[in-house]
Amino acid sequence: MMRFTLSAEPPDLSLLREGLRHPGSGGFCAFEGWVRDSNEGRRVSGLEYEAYAELAVAEGERIVAEAAARYGVLAAHAVHRTGDLRVGDLAVWIGVCAAHRDEAFRACRYIIDEIKQRLPIWKKEHYLEGDTAWVACAHGGRAHESEPPQRHDRQQDHAHSHAGTRLAFTPDYSRQTRLREVGDAGQARLAAARVLVIGAGGLGCPVISYLAAAGVGRLGIVDGDVLDASNLHRQLLYDARDVGQRKVDLAARRVAELNPTVAVQTWNEPLHAGNIAEVFAGHDLVVECTDDLASRYLANDAAVLTGTPLILASVYQYEGQLQVIGATPGEPCLRCLWSEQPAPGLAGSCVESGVLGPVPGVLGTMQAMEALKLLLGLPRAADHALQLVNLLDGSNQRLPIDAAAGCARHGGCVAVAQRAIAGAREQLDIDRRFDRLHDAIAAGYAIIDVRETQEIAARPLPVASRRVPATVLAAAACEPIEGRVLLVCASGKRSAHAARLLRQRGVDAYSLGGGLAALPTEAEFR
Amino acid sequence: MIEVNVQYYAQLREQAGVSAERVGTDAASLRALYRELSARHGFSLPLEALKVAVNARFSDWDRVPGAGDTVVFIPPVAGG
Repeated sequence: MMRFTLSAEPPDLSLLREGLRHPGSGGFCAFEGWVRDSNEGRRVSGLEYEAYAELAVAEGERIVAEAAARYGVLAAHAVHRTGDLRVGDLAVWIGVCAAHRDEAFRACRYIIDEIKQRLPIWKKEHYLEGDTAWVACAHGGRAHESEPPQRHDRQQDHAHSHAGTRLAFTPDYSRQTRLREVGDAGQARLAAARVLVIGAGGLGCPVISYLAAAGVGRLGIVDGDVLDASNLHRQLLYDARDVGQRKVDLAARRVAELNPTVAVQTWNEPLHAGNIAEVFAGHDLVVECTDDLASRYLANDAAVLTGTPLILASVYQYEGQLQVIGATPGEPCLRCLWSEQPAPGLAGSCVESGVLGPVPGVLGTMQAMEALKLLLGLPRAADHALQLVNLLDGSNQRLPIDAAAGCARHGGCVAVAQRAIAGAREQLDIDRRFDRLHDAIAAGYAIIDVRETQEIAARPLPVASRRVPATVLAAAACEPIEGRVLLVCASGKRSAHAARLLRQRGVDAYSLGGGLAALPTEAEFR
Repeated sequence: MIEVNVQYYAQLREQAGVSAERVGTDAASLRALYRELSARHGFSLPLEALKVAVNARFSDWDRVPGAGDTVVFIPPVAGG
């Protein structure tokens, strides 16, 4: 067992110790860190630990795993307290089991040293005089840095040689402030800026890297994915040990290593119609870096509604497209060009079509450049254009977008965006997602299959359902419907439409979001 | 018959096998030109999903191609 936990309560030490028992273990070593009554000459009555929980757990687990790999231990568990502690309370507990005592001692020491250096945990000390202060938890050296190289440690050394330099670091922006157009005033603008990056993949990696390195004060990062090995050829924020971990946590950690002065906030699920406008309103600029058309359209609508500039890019194999949405009246938006989201199959993806790593690298870097230009007020192209970049033949063309020929013909970008967001909100309310239809029934929904007879024959539902084709529902030609119902079709389109009609008739109707296509088929139909 | 320079992006480039080509056509509109090229290259994208530009300006599909025009067909792309 290799674990790291945060605990708001005093942990049960005997339980922790028993949890580490291992038949191959000949040595167990535990370390306890206690709250002492003074710090740097001041008398302390107690303290308060506050953790950035998600990042702390991810980083803590990484530290424990590193110790295990480095010293070859059998089991290890580290616990860090959060909340209010008094003098004498246990703040940290570390237990390690190994075949021999030496590995256990060393791994224990490694874990406490790294926890002190790397965990995003802040300590508020309460002094006897009544005042308080937040103090950095990072203190002390690392015994293992003076150790001779170990059999297991090459990768780990590489990792903490980065982390070890981080807290003493003061950023030096002189190479960019030397630019007449940037200067100290520009640097101050960057430090005050709040930028949201949606998607921490091929486009997002260079965007996040360059904006963090440039000293943008606050970065928001949105991504719902975990890192896959197939991402590594183009997503250079990450490395081979990161596979399987959430990208937002990895990206936040990488930013902390690259520029500790940048504050990072993460969202580990995609934004949706219900929260996106609020999130956008808290940022000065948004950079859209997903591979998802629906996300781009939603971001466009939220940008227009909140007046937040948005930088869009997308890639296909060896080429890419870039569009900057100024989100001010008279400037064209994404819908001015493509008014409706194209059917998902039409636009291609990196998974289906393939992509060469530098392609999102180039387009993401261009997005970062556009972001810095906007934040710094640098000169930009006078026209509003779709920029097409072909990295095979090196061509780069800008096609000006005529705002008068776009949303202006449908009431203007704002009105179009309002309708679209309202539609998406309604969809959000109507759609219900389940991994299995049995779960829907357990949650109190009666299932109505709105597909046609031949579709049902081709893929029957594994649960009891009432069958009312959408056409019959629309014509109100069926028996009355009572209670809470979940309508089901192949893709979620007909069921959503039917649910809207039923709601108008007072029925408590929902639609299976994404339809049967979104259900994991293995579990549902085997 | 006139000659135009045609450029393809993304899926269209992939399906045509070239980024650009010079084609002779009698098409009376960009719409008809795309249909001709679709038949030749087996394009899978419907015209409604595309944008077309002529001489570096977006255009509507009814425009009559002129001799020597550079016509660009642009699909939406989603990769990131």
